[in-house]
Amino acid sequence: MSALEVEPGAAPESGLVTTDTLDNFDEMSCSLEEIKNENDATQEEETNDNTINEQFDDNGVNDNEFVNADEEFELNKEWIGKSKHVFVLSMAGKPIYSRYGNEDKLAWLFGVMQTLVSFTQSSDDCIQSIQAGNTRFVFLVKKPLILVTVSKTRESESQLKMQLHYVFNQITSILTLTRLNKIYEQRQNYDLRRLLSGVERLIDHLLTFSEMESSIMLGAVQCLPLASSVRDTISSAITGACSKIKNLVFAILLANNKLITLVRMKKYCLHPADLHLIFNLVQASESFKNSESWTPLCLPKFDASGFLYGHVSYLSEDCQACLLLLTVERDVFFTLSEAKQKIVEKLRRSNCLEAINESLGNPGESSASAGFVEIRHYLYKCKSTAQFYQPNLSPPYAQSKEPLIEIYKRAHHRLHNVSRPLKLIFERSANEAILAWDTKGFELFVVFEPLIDTSQAIVLIGKLLNWIKKKEERLFHLNAPTF
Amino acid sequence: MAQTDDSMDDDVFEAVDDVNKRLDVSSKNTHPSPTGYRNYKPPDEILKLCQYDVIVSDEPVVHKTILLGDSGVGKTSLLVKFDTGKFHSGSFSATVGIGFTTKVVTVDNTKVKLQIWDTAGQERFRSVTHAYYRDAHALLLLYDVTNKTSFDNIRAWLGEIREYAQDDVVIMLLGNKADCGLDRAVRREDGERLAREYNVAFMETSAKSGQNVELAFIAVARELKCRSTGQKDANTFNVKDYIREQTEKPQCPPCNT
Repeated sequence: MSALEVEPGAAPESGLVTTDTLDNFDEMSCSLEEIKNENDATQEEETNDNTINEQFDDNGVNDNEFVNADEEFELNKEWIGKSKHVFVLSMAGKPIYSRYGNEDKLAWLFGVMQTLVSFTQSSDDCIQSIQAGNTRFVFLVKKPLILVTVSKTRESESQLKMQLHYVFNQITSILTLTRLNKIYEQRQNYDLRRLLSGVERLIDHLLTFSEMESSIMLGAVQCLPLASSVRDTISSAITGACSKIKNLVFAILLANNKLITLVRMKKYCLHPADLHLIFNLVQASESFKNSESWTPLCLPKFDASGFLYGHVSYLSEDCQACLLLLTVERDVFFTLSEAKQKIVEKLRRSNCLEAINESLGNPGESSASAGFVEIRHYLYKCKSTAQFYQPNLSPPYAQSKEPLIEIYKRAHHRLHNVSRPLKLIFERSANEAILAWDTKGFELFVVFEPLIDTSQAIVLIGKLLNWIKKKEERLFHLNAPTF
Repeated sequence: MAQTDDSMDDDVFEAVDDVNKRLDVSSKNTHPSPTGYRNYKPPDEILKLCQYDVIVSDEPVVHKTILLGDSGVGKTSLLVKFDTGKFHSGSFSATVGIGFTTKVVTVDNTKVKLQIWDTAGQERFRSVTHAYYRDAHALLLLYDVTNKTSFDNIRAWLGEIREYAQDDVVIMLLGNKADCGLDRAVRREDGERLAREYNVAFMETSAKSGQNVELAFIAVARELKCRSTGQKDANTFNVKDYIREQTEKPQCPPCNT
């Protein structure tokens, strides 16, 4: 293993911010003001345009509907059985979101949650979690909201808390943190659902995404495998078409939840958590497929106080990759639309659209087809670029992914346990053997056939790392191109 | 100064040889080429480009139309039906921000290019959509005939339009989902009355059945075309009269009985 000088997938520069933990989850990396001021000092008044211009009339959404006992019982039987509930409420206890069921009918429950939070607060404390049997209640008090999850899954407290952070960020990304705070400063019992109509779908999708994909757990993104020459051509097509456009911050091309390329303004990086929100938005919004769109979007880790504006479109009918051009200007749709046309023309001429389609159509290599028959599946995360790679699912996980995700979540939790972090775990059970390894440069989780022995596993991992190293140009986005 | 004098001298006292040479060249070059290279023939793509240029100069004026109305009234469905002729039932997906489509329609043998902005109905997108009101030439304001609230909100929408849009913007009120049958919550007459009160054109549409979808957009295109060709003052075309004429035509083929 020492033969590897640099861990696979490492690059001198990364377009993604690289972080390991949630410790600094509240920090923002950049400021929109800075970008604007740098590029034109004259347009200062523009930025304060996001003021709230509505009358805050509460048209009585909180009608106490009478639910008869039978109905309530029906609701409960199915409702209680759900493996994970997520609730969002205001500090005043007003319901905002419930993953299952109607928030209005659950008003009593939101009341209980609010009471628990304010009761602990009254003694200058903050409630974190409650464990009851195999049910875990996790609280995240993030002013002006309270987020609660009630989970029967085997996810750890920190993993659940991370999901709540993501839900909070999803809400911020729709409204900006500044506006959210302002709303509650002006009126504590405001019904936020008015402004969030349609966002439930995004939150629902985000929760499923965090349960079914490893990317949120790892804090990394997966790239669409492409020859490095193709990826470079795509990046340069984007740079070429956009280099003269002022105040364009990011250009992101993605397909099928995988990153194709990310081009950025010099000095600015994108946080994987923000990129996950973008992936979620694109995946959950069918309407982007109908036409070119223009939408405000706040990236909470980038700058939670203001909006970026995004030109969002799919490349073409025959190539379902989605291009986002994010700028700080609110009225440059047509400029960006033109740039997009140029990009597509260039990509078509250089056969990049075909290359993307080919990669999308290809199910990808399973670890067995790459020559590792004893390895069922693995996750490899390169820390310096915040990217990860996983092979295609193969039996016994091809049918259902959940057990595999659960194995990974458990191993990840033990590796990153706050009180007792581990470097290396090898664990064999009746069903499988798992090896989890945290080094300075990478994280590796490998699921083996259950009968593997330790020495064999170590040899295999050496081979696997070499294999990834050999393929790194194809599997990772190693450049961090700028405009 | 001395230099220019020199060059003039050159022109005047040209060597006879030079002149002959030049004549020689021009006589050989039966097909002069723009590049100066002999026998150069531009590739087909370039020639096509030239042709295309001619078309561009002929291109119709772009008219901006915005679809407005509460979330879920069927703005996107109406547009998709008009654009592609398809209706996706049961797949509601809220528009995010503003969607953008261009469609060229033919009105009285002339082409009119409609640039259609499909806005998200949700309140949080208002500040973004307002920015586009003032550029709009026409507004299609939709409500859902099965949803009374969406109809009640029309007055608020008209208030916003008055505030942000141009004074001479063409406004058309559309009661969508007219195929609803028993689920109807807003009578046709109510829509008509409201339209009369605000002096705007009105019709009921259905993105599902296709009823009046084409008509709504064509009527807007026709009105905009007439305005841009300066026929507005002559009052040769009135969108409301046009709609009345068109909708009074029998909806189904006459029966033989």
